[in-house]
Amino acid sequence: MSAGREALFLPLAFLTVACVGGLEPGRPEPFAPPPLFALVLAVMLFAALVRSGTLVPERLVHDSRTSLANANGAIALLALFGATTQMFNLLSPRSGLPLVAVNAFLFVLLLNTLVASPDRVRLLRSLMVICGSAFVLKFVILAGLSDPEGGRTKRVLVALFDAATLGTITQDPLPEISGYIAFVTILVYLVAVAALPGAGSAVSATRRLDSRLPQYVPPGGGSHEDIGHA
Amino acid sequence: MSAEPRIPVPSPESRVTSPESRVESPESRVASPESRVLRSRPLREQIIRASGLVIALVYASVIVWAYARQPRTVSQMTGGLSATIGAYHVDPQSYNDGLQFFRRDQFIEARAAFARADPAERDAQTQFYIAYSYYREGWGRLYSSEALFAKGLESVNKAIALAPGGRLVVSDPNLQMHSADELKAELQRGLERDLSDLNPMRLFRTRK
Repeated sequence: MSAGREALFLPLAFLTVACVGGLEPGRPEPFAPPPLFALVLAVMLFAALVRSGTLVPERLVHDSRTSLANANGAIALLALFGATTQMFNLLSPRSGLPLVAVNAFLFVLLLNTLVASPDRVRLLRSLMVICGSAFVLKFVILAGLSDPEGGRTKRVLVALFDAATLGTITQDPLPEISGYIAFVTILVYLVAVAALPGAGSAVSATRRLDSRLPQYVPPGGGSHEDIGHA
Repeated sequence: MSAEPRIPVPSPESRVTSPESRVESPESRVASPESRVLRSRPLREQIIRASGLVIALVYASVIVWAYARQPRTVSQMTGGLSATIGAYHVDPQSYNDGLQFFRRDQFIEARAAFARADPAERDAQTQFYIAYSYYREGWGRLYSSEALFAKGLESVNKAIALAPGGRLVVSDPNLQMHSADELKAELQRGLERDLSDLNPMRLFRTRK
């Protein structure tokens, strides 16, 4: 992995997600810290990333690396954890039944992913589906149900729905910009996770080196004598 | 036995340098472009790594600051950050305008001028005057405006939080309450509802 990717791209991308993930424009306190359950979900996803080979921590922090490289790697790992926590904070509805249901759904889904031990590609696909479906649920469906704007019919239907569900489904209305911010944040997170140093990239690098090896070895194997004669 | 590919290892003989090889040729003193690239690569990598580390740490500090201080606007964010490094100043012209409006009991205009003077809400004295303007505007002989007093309480709390050690005293002879603590207590009293509100003597109290 290049130094630029490890020292600049990964930490900055993850820190941006960690910052914007908790941003709720228009609120008196616009930066929402993550709830405790988001930390639990983040630990589970972190474990799944490591088990699937999407992230190999040894490639970021190891004895064989210089202290500066290790510091870069540690920052990238911490930023990844912070970003993952804030991603779950961003995707979770704020209150009521949807909050409980989505948290339970994510917990079971991540537990299943951990047990199934998917490979890197499958885990990335699964992560994309998790983020995409949670985004649609919160920023399209629930936001639509909680939107105070609209015609009289819509408002009557929403009021009836609210009464039928004892007010447990509707959320505080979200500003329009928050959906766009969330979309870009999810995209940045997925790109950065895909750019993590994984087992797959290490294997491909080894294969590249192996393919170059025969051109340095003389026919018949080569020995000290060969070099001495040469 | 399978012929395993072996990596060529230099023999001990080949490591002994011949006397000829020790003599530096004029060509060898001039570094080739390839060797220069090879030598500069680790240096460039170190620079990228060091700058990446510094940028990430600064960025992380800004994020932690934002979550701790909760700035609502961009001007609050930039003002807060510049106050952290001691580079934030209140606009004196707007501050004086605000004071003049305040003394003429033009409280809405005064607050607009104070907000212009202290856009990041980082100056304790300006926040004190904003709170005082809410108090004077909301004060009534029969009853006080709860909404204005609540905003005043919010501003005075901000002023106390910004003042060094939480102690703020404003030596303005036009004011009857000089400390933020007095103003806060008066605002809190205005927000409370009890039997003393029915006391007819309240009609004779004066605005501070």
